Amino acid sequence: MEVTMALFITKRLLMALATVLVVAVLAFLLVHAMPGSPGAVSLGAGASQEAIDEVNQRLGWNDPLVTQFATWLASAIQGDLGVSLIDGRSLSADLASRLPVTASLAAGATILSAVLGIALGVTAAVRGGLLDQVIGGFVGLLVALPAFWVGVIFVYLFAVQSSVFPATGYVPFEVSPQDWAMSLALPVITLAVGGAAFIARQTRASMLEALQQEHIRTLRATATPTWKILYVHALRYASLPIVAGIALQFIGLFGGSVIAEQLFAMPGLGQAVQSSVSTHDAPAVQGVVVIATVVVVAVNLVLELATKFLDPKLRAS
Amino acid sequence: MKLMTTTARGSAAVLTGALLIGSLAGCGGGSSQASAKADTSSLTLAIDSDSGSFGYDPLRVSAAQRQFFEGLYDSLMTLQPDGSTGPGLAKAFSYNADNTVLTLSLKEDVTFTDGSKLDAALVKANLDRRSDPALTAYSAVAKGGAQEITSVDVVSPTQVALTFAKPQPGFEKNLASTTGMIVGKNGVTDTGSLAATPDGSGPYTLDPSTVKGNKYVLVKNDKSAEASRYAYKKVVFSVVMDPQARANALVSGQADVAMLTSNTVDFAKSKGVGVTQIGGTVNTMISFDKTGKTAPAFGQEKVRQAIQYAINRQALVDALHKGDIPAWNALPKDSAGFTKDLETKFAYNPDKAKSLLAEAGYPNGFEFTIIAGAQTQTDLQAVQKDLAAVGITMNVKMAASTDEAFAAVATTPLGYAPLNWDNPVGVMYGAILNGFTNVQKATDDQLSAATGELAAAKDDAAVKAAATKLNTRLVESGWMIPLYEALTNQGYNTKKVSPVKFAGTNAYPLLSSYAPAS
Repeated sequence: MEVTMALFITKRLLMALATVLVVAVLAFLLVHAMPGSPGAVSLGAGASQEAIDEVNQRLGWNDPLVTQFATWLASAIQGDLGVSLIDGRSLSADLASRLPVTASLAAGATILSAVLGIALGVTAAVRGGLLDQVIGGFVGLLVALPAFWVGVIFVYLFAVQSSVFPATGYVPFEVSPQDWAMSLALPVITLAVGGAAFIARQTRASMLEALQQEHIRTLRATATPTWKILYVHALRYASLPIVAGIALQFIGLFGGSVIAEQLFAMPGLGQAVQSSVSTHDAPAVQGVVVIATVVVVAVNLVLELATKFLDPKLRAS
Repeated sequence: MKLMTTTARGSAAVLTGALLIGSLAGCGGGSSQASAKADTSSLTLAIDSDSGSFGYDPLRVSAAQRQFFEGLYDSLMTLQPDGSTGPGLAKAFSYNADNTVLTLSLKEDVTFTDGSKLDAALVKANLDRRSDPALTAYSAVAKGGAQEITSVDVVSPTQVALTFAKPQPGFEKNLASTTGMIVGKNGVTDTGSLAATPDGSGPYTLDPSTVKGNKYVLVKNDKSAEASRYAYKKVVFSVVMDPQARANALVSGQADVAMLTSNTVDFAKSKGVGVTQIGGTVNTMISFDKTGKTAPAFGQEKVRQAIQYAINRQALVDALHKGDIPAWNALPKDSAGFTKDLETKFAYNPDKAKSLLAEAGYPNGFEFTIIAGAQTQTDLQAVQKDLAAVGITMNVKMAASTDEAFAAVATTPLGYAPLNWDNPVGVMYGAILNGFTNVQKATDDQLSAATGELAAAKDDAAVKAAATKLNTRLVESGWMIPLYEALTNQGYNTKKVSPVKFAGTNAYPLLSSYAPAS
C-alpha cells in the first residue's frame, strides 16, 4: 500500500514538473513573439538602434532560443528569475514579496467561501422546503454579483460609512498580525462571495445524493447522533466534489485576485502583472506566469492526494 | 424533523459566528478620519499613478512627476509657493546681453546620497545627458528642440553656463521642475543604478520599506539643508489607481491627502474631508493637420472654426464631467491670458457652423477619422454626435496599439489630449509650434509672434497682453478646439493636514507645502 502511494506521488510529481516546464517554454516563446526587443523596451521609444543592439547583446537576446531558455531555466531552478527590463530589480525578490499578498487573499477567500458555502449547502440539502428555496435564490443572487461591484459596496458600508475595516492597503503579517487580518478582511469577503455561492450549490447537490445512501439510512435507524450522521458520514461521502470545487475556487481566486488588488491597492501578483504588461516588461510577465503555474500545479497535486485520501476505493486502487 | 432543526441551528451558528468575528475584529482597528489622532511624523499621499514605474531617474519623467521626485532630488531652480521661480541648487543666475547664455551660480556643500558633492562639473555631466532620447525631461532642450541647449560649460567649480541655439529669456523656469533636477556622480556615471536606487540631494531618501508600484516610503535626509522646510519626517506615496478607491482611502483614514477626480469630490466633501481645487488642465482637441494633408477640409481655418461652433461643451460637461468647467479658452481660467470674450464669440451655434462649412466649400460636410483611447472614447463619441448634427462625419477608431496612437499625429487631422498650461511658452515651443502636434510643419505668424512676446514679457501687464493674444489666436485659428477644463482636486484630512495650497497654477502642490493642521 505504501509503495503504491509512493509510486503515485512520484508519478504525479513528475507530471507536475513536466507541466511547469511546458508552461515555462510557452511563456518564454510568447515573450519572444511579442513585438520589440528588451533593448527597445528598456531604453524607450526614440532610442538609437546602436544602444538597443548593445542592450540586446548584453542580455543575450541574439543567442539561439534554446541557449536563452537553457540559461533562463538554469537560473530559475536556482531561484533566480532574472531582472526587470524597466528598473533592473530582481524578479525573484519582487515576486517573493508579492506572493504572500495574493496567497493570503486567495487562501482567505477560499477558506471563507468553503465555510459559508458548506454551511449554506448542507442547510439547504438537509432542511429542504422553503429554506432550500430561499437559500437557492440567495445563492443565485451571489453568483450573479460581479466581484468588483461587491467590493465597492462592502467598502462603502464597512470602510466609508462605519470605518470597521480599512478601505485600502495591505499590512504584512510580520508587521502586525491584527492589522494584517484587518487589511485582508474586505478583499477576502469580496472574493469569497461568488466562491461561497459556487460551493453551496456543489455541497447541496452532493449532500442530497449522500443522504439517499443506504448506509445513511441505516445509521439513522441505529440512533446514531444526527451531527455524526451529517458531518462525519454524509459530508465525507459528499466531500469529493466539494473538495474539488474548493480547489478550483482557490485556483480561480489566485488568478482573479487582480480585481481585489486593484480595488484595495494591494501589492500582489495581480498588480505586478498589470504593471509589467503595461510597461512591456516581458521577463516580469514570464516570471509571474511561471510562479502562478507552480501554484496551480501544486494545488492540483494536493487535490489529487486529498481525493485519494477521502475515497477509499481510489485509495485501494 | 429533529435532524433538520439541528442542522439549521448549526448553520445559523456558523453564520452568526462569522459575523461576530467580523464585528469584533472591527472594534480593534478602524481608523476613521474622525478618530484619527494628529500625527505630524508621517504624511500619506494617495496618488493616481506609479511615479517610480521607470525607476528613480528624475530625467526619465515629465513635470507631472515633479512632486514625487521633489522629495528625492533638488532642482537647479525651485517652484515657489506663489508659482514663481526661485533659487534652488543654483543660488543665482544671469543672462548675457542677447539672452543666449544663462550662467548659474551654484550652492556649496550640497551632498548626494552617494557621498558626492555638487559642483559645476556634475551639473554639466547631468545636462550633457540631454541627447539621451529616453530622458523625457530633456526633450525640449535636446538637439533640435525649441529650447535647444547647444553647450554646457564649466566656468568655475561653482559656475556653469548654458548656451542656447537662440535667445531664451526666462529659461530658468524650465529648471524648476524635473528638467532641472540634478543626479549625483554615481547616478550620472552609472545611469543603470538609478533604476533601483535614487541618487539625489533632496530632503528625503528612499526607505527600504518601499514596495515598488504600491507604496514609496520617503524618510528625512539628515544631510539636506533644505529638509527643515519639510514638515513631515516620513512621506508615503501610496499608489491607488482607482479614483473611487483613492477617495475611499482618504475618507476612511488610510491616506491623509489624495488626488481626487471631479466626480468623487462631492462624495469626499460629504464625508467631511477638505478639498482644494485648481484649474490648469484643459482637455483640448488639437488640430494636428493644418495643411490639409490627411483631410483637405482641415486645411481651411473656417472648417476648424465650424467645429468650434458645432460642439455643445456645456452638454458634454453636464453629461460626462460633472464638476469640471466647459472651456472655450485654450488657456485655463486661472491663466493671465484667459478671456471671457471667447465664451460668447464661440458659443454653441450649429447654424453658424453649417454656414462656415458652406463658405469653406463643404455645404454637405465631410468625413474624417480620429484615433481614440480608453480615456477619450466617451468624450469623442459625444463630440461625434455634435459634429454629425452639422454634417461632419467623425469616425472614432480605437487605437489598436500604442504605436497607432502615437502615429495619429501624422495620419489623422485631429487629436484629443489634456494640456497643462503651467508653462505656456514651453508648451507652445515644445508641442504646438515645433513639437509633436505639428508634424505637417504648419505655420501661423500670429501664434509665433504671440509666443515670442510672451517669452520676452517682463512684467504682469506684458504677460497678460501676450497671453491673451496667444489664447485668442489658438482658438480663432482652430489649432486648439478646447472642450473642458478639468479641475485638479486635492482632498485632505482636515484633522491632520492644513488646507492644501497649490503653487500658482501648477497642478501638483509642492511637497514642502503640506503642513500639519494647526
